[in-house]
Amino acid sequence: MKCGTCCVVRGHSCHVMYDEEKFNPRYTYVYDCLGAEEPFQNPNIWLCVSCHKCDEMCPYEVSPVSFIEAMKPNAFENGHAHPIVVGEVENVLSTGYAFPLTLSTTRLREMLSLKPIQTLAIEDIKRIAEQTGLALKLKKNKERES
Amino acid sequence: MKKFAFFRGCYIPVRLPHIERVARMVLGDLGIDLIDIEGFSCCPEPIGFGLNDKLTWMSIAARNIALAEDEGVDIITLCNGCLYTLKQANVALKENRELRDKVNEVLAATDHQFKGNIEVKHFAQVLSDGIGLGEVRKRVVKPLDGLRVASHTGCHIISPVEVLQFDNPYDPTVLDGMVSALGAAPVDYDLKTLCCGWTLMNYGTRRSSSNLLGAKLAAMWEAGAECVTVICPQCYYQFDTGQMLAARALKLDFRLPVLFYLQLLALALGYRLEDIHFSQHRVGSPVLEERLRGIVS
Repeated sequence: MKCGTCCVVRGHSCHVMYDEEKFNPRYTYVYDCLGAEEPFQNPNIWLCVSCHKCDEMCPYEVSPVSFIEAMKPNAFENGHAHPIVVGEVENVLSTGYAFPLTLSTTRLREMLSLKPIQTLAIEDIKRIAEQTGLALKLKKNKERES
Repeated sequence: MKKFAFFRGCYIPVRLPHIERVARMVLGDLGIDLIDIEGFSCCPEPIGFGLNDKLTWMSIAARNIALAEDEGVDIITLCNGCLYTLKQANVALKENRELRDKVNEVLAATDHQFKGNIEVKHFAQVLSDGIGLGEVRKRVVKPLDGLRVASHTGCHIISPVEVLQFDNPYDPTVLDGMVSALGAAPVDYDLKTLCCGWTLMNYGTRRSSSNLLGAKLAAMWEAGAECVTVICPQCYYQFDTGQMLAARALKLDFRLPVLFYLQLLALALGYRLEDIHFSQHRVGSPVLEERLRGIVS
């Protein structure tokens, strides 16, 4: 990780470090994560946008993105997920959609003569979540938030 | 007519329904029969949901794919994020028997099973590889008269390259070809592969997201673009609503309206500005509006 190719050309390598001081693949991977006892608690892992630029540029097949992405399920499982992640998972479980269904959605769709949004997948998604243990992990994150 | 299961995703039907309206209008004109499958859910969204619980992500994606398999049709998406989820799931589940068995065990509670006999495609792939840009060009009745368009392909239709197989991550040109097919002129600009910053708006700071977007917009503007085109609803939102916020924060002295590619296509097929719901856009430009009205009149 000394070569730094993933961070070298501003605007063409890691996109996030274009203007985000707290993050670059090299720093977050080596110093923030590998040196920490519980690296998933590092808040900077959430800044990675999974653009894979570091992966594409890396001449040594290190793939920092894979490492940083691997921290996220650990964080979620241990109740340390980013609040936006928690909100999004809740939305999918309660409506089948990641983004909130609002009155504005209903009005716009009516105006455009589009059928109302249906929420027919909820029961199946709840059954899937029961099987995978998602509901328990979500509860842990909610408890930590409150 | 080639039939596809129409996977609208979340963002378009919930936040940008005018894009759904335009898609239904123009894809039919190009011989694509969109089959609505009412049981579809969120793909689920890959960054906020997918990375955090992979088995649930893969299982919900597999359920969506299974619904299209029941109809015997491939899936067409309008969103890079939906492609990123559904294509990665489709490829992984076809290739990895152990994973497929595990996911089908989870899905048994829903009476669905992943079989692995359809493909998942983004509309840009269907236009460029399926129908073909030569055929699209033949359907154009109002060529876009050299309109200078900066194309932004987005990240999650390109990488990981070995799975998505859409374009060159270092020098994407497919969308430029799609722009040329309409009689418009693609603009080459610096920072072409830079992310739009939408994800950073959620997980980083508004400032960093605006600075990134502002740099990209400035590069497009300096290269002489009259507008931007995108093939992903999150990128659209960032270039439209995000640009409004960035322009305020950075005191930008120009505006570059964005059009979803299907809106540009609609104009080239002879539809009016009202038909593409241009009035729904947050960032407008009287100069561009006059230019577009001149083209379609």
